[in-house]
Amino acid sequence: MSAGAGWARAQRRAFLLGLAPALIVLAAVTVGPAAYLVATSLTPLTPVRPGSGLDFSHPLGNYIQALFQSSFPHSVLLQAELSLLTVGMQTLAGVGLALLLDVESRWMEVLRTGFLVPMVLPPIVVAIIWKVLTTPDVSPAYSLLAWFGLRPGSLVTNPVTALPLIAFADTWEWFPFTMLMVLAALQMQPREQLEAARIDGANSRQMFWHVRLPFIRPALTVAVLFRLIDSIKAFPLIYVLTDGGPGRATEVTNYYAFVQTFNFAYWGYGSAIATMMVAGVFVLSLAIGRLGFGRDEDA
Amino acid sequence: MGGKLRRRAVITGAAGMLALPGKAPAAVGAKPLSGVTLNVSCWNAPYPQFLKKYIPEFEQETGARVVYTTPAFPIYNQRMDIALATHSDAYDVINVTFIYIGRWVGAGWMTPLDPFIANPKLTPADWNPKDFLPGIEAAFRDSKGELCAVPWIADIMMSGASRYDLIHGAGLTMPDTFDEMHKMLAAVSHKDGLPGFVVENHYGWTFLGYLQGFGANVFRAPPHDLMPVLDSPEAVQAAEFFATIMRDYGPRGALSYTYDQVTAALKAAKVIYSTENEAFVTQMAQKGAPAAPTCGFSLFPKGPAGRFPQIATHGWGIPAGSRKKDAAWQFIAWAMSEKLLLRMFREQGWSSVTRRSIIDLPEFHAKLNYNGFDVAKIYLETLNLADKGYMAYRTVPAYPQIDRQINIALQSVISGEKKAAQAMKDAQHNSLEALRRAGVKL
Amino acid sequence: MPRRGSRAGRRHGAEWAATALLLVVLAPALWLLQMSFRTEASINGGVFVATLANYTSLAGSGFPASFANSVVASTTATALALLLGVPAAYALSRGGMRRRGTIAMWVLVTRMAPPIAFTVPFFLAFSWLGLIDTVSGLVVVYLTFDLAMVIWTMRSFFAAIPHSLEEAAWIDGAGVWGAFLRVVLPLSVPGLAATGILCFIMSWNDFFFALILTRTNAMTAPVAIVNFMQYAGWEWGKIAAAGVLVLLPVLAFTLLTRRYLVRGLTAGGVKE
Repeated sequence: MSAGAGWARAQRRAFLLGLAPALIVLAAVTVGPAAYLVATSLTPLTPVRPGSGLDFSHPLGNYIQALFQSSFPHSVLLQAELSLLTVGMQTLAGVGLALLLDVESRWMEVLRTGFLVPMVLPPIVVAIIWKVLTTPDVSPAYSLLAWFGLRPGSLVTNPVTALPLIAFADTWEWFPFTMLMVLAALQMQPREQLEAARIDGANSRQMFWHVRLPFIRPALTVAVLFRLIDSIKAFPLIYVLTDGGPGRATEVTNYYAFVQTFNFAYWGYGSAIATMMVAGVFVLSLAIGRLGFGRDEDA
Repeated sequence: MGGKLRRRAVITGAAGMLALPGKAPAAVGAKPLSGVTLNVSCWNAPYPQFLKKYIPEFEQETGARVVYTTPAFPIYNQRMDIALATHSDAYDVINVTFIYIGRWVGAGWMTPLDPFIANPKLTPADWNPKDFLPGIEAAFRDSKGELCAVPWIADIMMSGASRYDLIHGAGLTMPDTFDEMHKMLAAVSHKDGLPGFVVENHYGWTFLGYLQGFGANVFRAPPHDLMPVLDSPEAVQAAEFFATIMRDYGPRGALSYTYDQVTAALKAAKVIYSTENEAFVTQMAQKGAPAAPTCGFSLFPKGPAGRFPQIATHGWGIPAGSRKKDAAWQFIAWAMSEKLLLRMFREQGWSSVTRRSIIDLPEFHAKLNYNGFDVAKIYLETLNLADKGYMAYRTVPAYPQIDRQINIALQSVISGEKKAAQAMKDAQHNSLEALRRAGVKL
Repeated sequence: MPRRGSRAGRRHGAEWAATALLLVVLAPALWLLQMSFRTEASINGGVFVATLANYTSLAGSGFPASFANSVVASTTATALALLLGVPAAYALSRGGMRRRGTIAMWVLVTRMAPPIAFTVPFFLAFSWLGLIDTVSGLVVVYLTFDLAMVIWTMRSFFAAIPHSLEEAAWIDGAGVWGAFLRVVLPLSVPGLAATGILCFIMSWNDFFFALILTRTNAMTAPVAIVNFMQYAGWEWGKIAAAGVLVLLPVLAFTLLTRRYLVRGLTAGGVKE
């Protein structure tokens, strides 16, 4: 039908027209900078040395330095440690709370909203809240402990406790995300499945492992991957609480890149670190894509 | 110039006589800098706060509008560094931070000031540029010998005790050597739960007097031979000594003490002894401070290799990117005029001054005598010591990077994460890496 | 029936436990709130002495200007992102384009990329273009993640709207965008609200970009708070008051639009 084909073409053109402006802008603000980033990463660019931005004589110099002659690998290990700790805690806390909150009642609705608060707070405010909690002079936690006659040392200046503390604060901030995703999945589980399991005499532990967990697994996986990627970006907490210290105990990759790029103006070197970070994120995002995230309309 | 002073007198006088409600009369149009907005920035410290109170006078006198910002120290340095690196015109008058002198001045990011000083249209005849302490001013000269900032502070490292009574009670005096210091701290610390010693957690600054006192240094022979020597046996010894006294005699969470916390603890007599900046330790003597009746002072102690009290200076300069350099200079000339500095000393007690004419005043010596300790004498003796040139390491352009390595190393030793030898070896290794990345030929 | 009774009992138990937990979880934030009403002298403990001084002293500082910068940058970026992103999201959800998977992946990576990867090129380009320390510069940067966010979440909202509705409009002779405006858009108002609020919150909460790309004129509220962490003594009262002011808009939005927001937050993450 020629009319139908004409309409299909017109429709197609209309869709393209709707898509084009956004894609052009998105390309301008993402692809352009990305290309610039990669190009910069091949130069030793630093403002202290004029002309260093066009010096492509050792294109892989920054990468070789980063991988073999610097604290970058150490920062990646720290990053892995921080990410595993915080994502692990967030998953446990998020799933636990979601199960607890998966009860239909008015009051529970209110509580669910309450639990969202840490996640929407501006990260800098979260960092300040934790700065207050970890500064012995003003911390209510320290006053409370002192009341019991306990005077523990500062956790942020102890190399053993600093990273777990950051992970804990990050968990406080982000467990609501996992909770929300899991809760949404839980509420979609058909009640008949639950009733059937109950009639079969499943106890609550069996219920969780054999009925609920398999159902929420896809949502949980996506939540974990999202949080894993976002945990790489944790910045204000480290900036305000430890500045990467004590020693290098909390100098994770993102912070390392920040210090090299903006404290010492090694822009070329910082670009190389950032490029590698984007590559890592890309691989993790592919994993999310593989898991079918975002193809909901095809389901 | 006298003319300018007279004009100011005329304007304020006229305004006073007319006592008009609202804006001043037509004279406004005649002000030299009316319509000019100056962006002035310094990190937040007592001095910029003192100065802030006089800025309305400058605005009144010249017609300029001053946007004055004082961010926190780390933010200030980080942001100013990237602003200067990109030749931004966002600032007209900035503080040249001591540790960044080599970097900012060395890279040509600051404006040489000599032509402005020599210009009688911009600088009053009685401004007397020769009055500034030469040893301090020298830090701000570029490779051609041109002055790139006017120092507003000469801050020396010295000893201060909040409880000299305890030291005296133990049959001791203010320690003159590291050994005496160690013995003194062992004798008085933790009696009544009082910690003995703490310094600011910026160890790239507070540790250096110990490093050099043990005969070590940061670089082999700055400013020409920048080979780092942080893993020398003397450096390891210094780190061990410093970490030991911090660990054994320091307060809880000593690693997190910023300078304001150190100052507050000293003033409140909650820590007995410290080796810190003059501007901080002398606050113990302030009226009403719990430490005032019992505080004592002395020169920074000497080690096996001698006495190396550190000296810091900060100065007002003009970024190369500024588009209002003439007006910017007039602000600096005003802020650093003898008249204003004298007023700041008399009205607000600002005593880390850089003008010889003020230091030599009898009232300066009288004011800086606390409980019989002559701080003015300590101040001048230390300034003389520094003329030997041992501060050269600090104005090396890549020093900020090395500073971070020293901070990290000392934090690791004090927190017990690493042994001194290992931490200093790592610092050496990482410093080499940092210098190579900075393009320094070794 | 005893069985019902026990279930009700369990529900009450869960409610009590969850309420107690919520109080524990929110305690740190509530502590900040009470700190903001304390006099500087009583902050280190002791008797609570109430004051509004922390808030009034903010008025005399540069904080209101920074707050205004935050408002302008966040709302402009959100509006632009919606304007550009909503048609694109609709086209993606209906167009059946072959490259859809690639575009979706691209958008996802943009949403995921660490900010530092964008800061370096933006910083260098902005210094060259004179966009450093301008609100317009911030808007451009915020578009990177806001636009990705709009396309991402609105697509899943549109996907949930049955095609039959707009097809009916097409048969009536409406064009693609006519049908979109008249039929689809009114149905997706909740989604628009949720997405817009999410964009606003993300821009509002930004600290890193503003830290690097602003100096004085375009400084945003989150960065201004850090400036209260002065080298010469932390002004805890002011920090707390500024913190409360910065979290207030975000909190209000969350509580007012909770239901929609939850959909936005989980959009695409859970198969519906």
